Amino acid sequence: MNPIYKDARYTEVPYEEKLKLFDAVKSDMRYPHELHGCYECGICVAACPSARFFDFSPRVFAQTMAREDVHSFYELLNDNVWDCSQCFSCTCCPRQNNPGGIITIMREVAVNDGLQSAKDALQAYSRIIYKVMSTGTQVSPDMLQPDFFPDWGPDVRDVSLNLDVWRRAIPPETMHTVELAWDVSEKTRLELYMIWKLTGNLEMIENVDEGLYMILEEVMEELLEEHGYDIDDFDNILED
Amino acid sequence: MSGKVMVIGGGPAGLEAARGVIELGYECILVEQRDSLGGSPISASYAALTPDMEDTEVAMARMIDSVVGNELADIRLGNSVTAVEGSAPEFKVTLQSDSGSEIVDICSVVVATGFKHFDPGRETQKYGYYEYDDVLTLVDAEKMLKSGSFVRPSTGEAPKTVCFVQCVGSRDRQIGNQWCSKVCCGVATKEAIEIKHLLPDCKVIVFYIDMRMYGFWEDLLYWKAQEEYRVNFIRGLVSEVTKRGDTIVVKGEDTTMGRPMEVPMDMVILSVGMEPSDGTLAMAELFELPLECHGYIETKGGPLNTVQTPIDGVFVAGTAAGPADLEDSISMGGAAALKACAFIRRITVTN
Amino acid sequence: MTQGDAEPIRLPMAELQVAKAADRQFQLPKEPPTEDYRKLLFELEAAGEIEVLRVPEPFVEVDTKFGRKKKVPLENTWHHKSCGQCGHIPGYSTSIFWLNREFGFNYHDPREQTSCTAWNYYASSTSNPAAQAAVACRNFAQAKLDGYFPLIHCGTSYGHYKEVRAQLLHHPELRNQVRKILARLNLPFVFPEEIVHYSEWVHVMREKIAERQVRDFSSITVTVHPACHYHKLVVEDAIYDADLYDGQRTAIVSGVVTALGAKVADYSTWHDCCGFGFRHILVSRDFSRSFATIRKIERMKEEADPDVTLTHDTGCVTTLDKSQFSTQAHNRNVGIPVMSDAQFAALSMGAHPYLVCQLHWHGVDMKPLLEQMGIDHEKAWKEFEEVADKLEKSPESYLTWEEV
Repeated sequence: MNPIYKDARYTEVPYEEKLKLFDAVKSDMRYPHELHGCYECGICVAACPSARFFDFSPRVFAQTMAREDVHSFYELLNDNVWDCSQCFSCTCCPRQNNPGGIITIMREVAVNDGLQSAKDALQAYSRIIYKVMSTGTQVSPDMLQPDFFPDWGPDVRDVSLNLDVWRRAIPPETMHTVELAWDVSEKTRLELYMIWKLTGNLEMIENVDEGLYMILEEVMEELLEEHGYDIDDFDNILED
Repeated sequence: MSGKVMVIGGGPAGLEAARGVIELGYECILVEQRDSLGGSPISASYAALTPDMEDTEVAMARMIDSVVGNELADIRLGNSVTAVEGSAPEFKVTLQSDSGSEIVDICSVVVATGFKHFDPGRETQKYGYYEYDDVLTLVDAEKMLKSGSFVRPSTGEAPKTVCFVQCVGSRDRQIGNQWCSKVCCGVATKEAIEIKHLLPDCKVIVFYIDMRMYGFWEDLLYWKAQEEYRVNFIRGLVSEVTKRGDTIVVKGEDTTMGRPMEVPMDMVILSVGMEPSDGTLAMAELFELPLECHGYIETKGGPLNTVQTPIDGVFVAGTAAGPADLEDSISMGGAAALKACAFIRRITVTN
Repeated sequence: MTQGDAEPIRLPMAELQVAKAADRQFQLPKEPPTEDYRKLLFELEAAGEIEVLRVPEPFVEVDTKFGRKKKVPLENTWHHKSCGQCGHIPGYSTSIFWLNREFGFNYHDPREQTSCTAWNYYASSTSNPAAQAAVACRNFAQAKLDGYFPLIHCGTSYGHYKEVRAQLLHHPELRNQVRKILARLNLPFVFPEEIVHYSEWVHVMREKIAERQVRDFSSITVTVHPACHYHKLVVEDAIYDADLYDGQRTAIVSGVVTALGAKVADYSTWHDCCGFGFRHILVSRDFSRSFATIRKIERMKEEADPDVTLTHDTGCVTTLDKSQFSTQAHNRNVGIPVMSDAQFAALSMGAHPYLVCQLHWHGVDMKPLLEQMGIDHEKAWKEFEEVADKLEKSPESYLTWEEV
């Protein structure tokens, strides 16, 4: 089957390759809740922040998936899927579609497949993935560096200059942290690592960023070993 | 056996059913909860009928006149059916009015208790009907058009821009109303023409998903609005109505152009759809009529029998059985009358 | 039938009056159009599949979108903190704790808590439903073991947990996966009866907060930004109130502002997102900045000219606040202080602007607002600096609750 549009992109990618990814989206447990059918009322686009600043349309996602247009799906998967804000304003759809939810699934499929476009989109993002997976929190105080947020003004500099003292000048005991948003206990981190292993989350990282995967594996292995666990005992249970 | 047909509901379908019954020579008890006949077109002050734009009061008076005063017609205004016992052909029906209750014997029934207009406050989209004076429903607009003065309620001045938002409360899985209400496209277009007639310089836009202008409505209303009155039809619905200073702003997507839009408007008219009326639901319960999956009274026989309910001797006409335009409602009224009388005749002949 | 000779019925003109909005009365539907998740939860509990963590006494019952009541606990809450609040807006979380302490409420600020980790779900999609559900249920199990009921600080965690709830309720295979994982962790499979956001707690406490108000807010105009993940992502258990926006928009935040005597001013992009976008705020910030300032801040400024804008989620405070600096450099019409409802409420009750509300972590200049609230910010900043100096001199010391 050939693309129906004259200006179709990715014509060099075999149809079977595109279909494999399309089927992966369609067979996801969440998919039947996220897409029913689309009569193109445009309400999702009206409510969508990304549609105002990018060449992006939640309606096109819903319509493409409903038509099962595998070629256009592949274009969206590579060129548009990372523009979504994941705000879920589009859940006001009168057909009860959830274009943002379709996109969550599409992104997961792109990551699992290790698509180059997914790697590119997540390139500057490794540090965040690392923080979330290794500490269970994100947005750590030490992220507030003037060179990372030059557009946020001089108070980012003030915060980073005074970080240690200012963190200690916050009353809740759990928040006297610099590298973490709050103090997460070791027991809890241990349990979190078990979850990542048991659900194959670490393998997902391996698909998009091997370096990051190796660092995470090491951190996790170390803590598990410290507590008498063997990381290899925690096989992905989703594959059972 | 009384040999009487009871028609419940004095709107277009009920009036036509009653007229049919008495023209076939049977006795008819016509029960109407309100104090006057005419149904929604009168009680909700419709200005003119769709699609031929005849003055509603003139047209409905003609229907009422064909029943009132006929010796076979026993008209009970201000009466409600409050209890039902027995089964056809020997129903005992309790009628309740301000002056008391009465039990009447009847053989067969036509339920023509109609619809109610959707309350736009339940809409999933944010249309501000309860926040902004200048956001109205089709029904509100009918009243104004009837009064001959179409003005912004907030200022009393004539609007320069008016838009209609289609499918409010219809075709919506979120609120559970998955049906098309059939008439709103035609009624909105009719109102658009009436507005342009009163205010030729006013810009009128209809925001829609699909314009459903069946049969003759296509050129009588849709083409007419486009070609003679230059009403704009933009394919794409509105997600929000908000206010910017004194101006109402509607936000939507022009799906033909593929562009998000934000349009200032003097007035917004919400094309509210139909839902089964409280009376329809009450009659379904009293006569033990099953509801079809959308919540209207079920008919059996599919498209080939539009008025027969699963309960013997009970027939349904008009919007009690689902969204319907006037043509459908009147046709169903006639068919129900025929079958309600035939039901009695079959028993009489057999006996 | 005779044609044309009938007398038309003429209704009196008075009946043709169209009601003004203030006279229109919205009626809630008899039946909510959504399923009752609590019923489903209790059914699963009865079937022995999960345990439902009950909302503890004392609680307040409050109206939600379709008229169902939601229980919001006042005390014995397990504070499920937010990464962005704790990390970058620490006065946000501190204010929530401070309010609880002021009312003498028993609460728990756990170390055995992770975030929802939905950064890896909504931003990078490097997670999956089983992992996300397991993370949620691990937190809930810990809350149960600690003997408290979860109160969720983050709007995204709140919305995400409600998505997780729907997935768990409808997918037995997911429940089985989560059950297996929790068994490996030696934790019970529990799910709370209600997912409660801290702003819902602020909402139900608003009258009590107002009773303890020591600063006059009557001259303050506020614009409200409701968080998308609060009122759009699983809509049915967001708080609505017939007296606010006629029950047509969520009453969250607006309720406490009104109770504190400040003025809520409307603007045309109230329903719009803030522009956070998860990955955008970090790696595509031009989008977040443009959206936040052009669609939100400038509209507020032009249409409502507020003294402050209040919101109830981490990402919204960050995006709306931090985006204004470089926009100001382009001489655009921006410059609105941004804070959370919790900080606003704490200030009304006399909280210290820097030691408690930690307003020095915010970007937009708060001084004019503080003056309007009758706060001597120069004196307050001196007090903060004294504390900071003291802490600087003794590296292992911390500011304590007793000192604030």
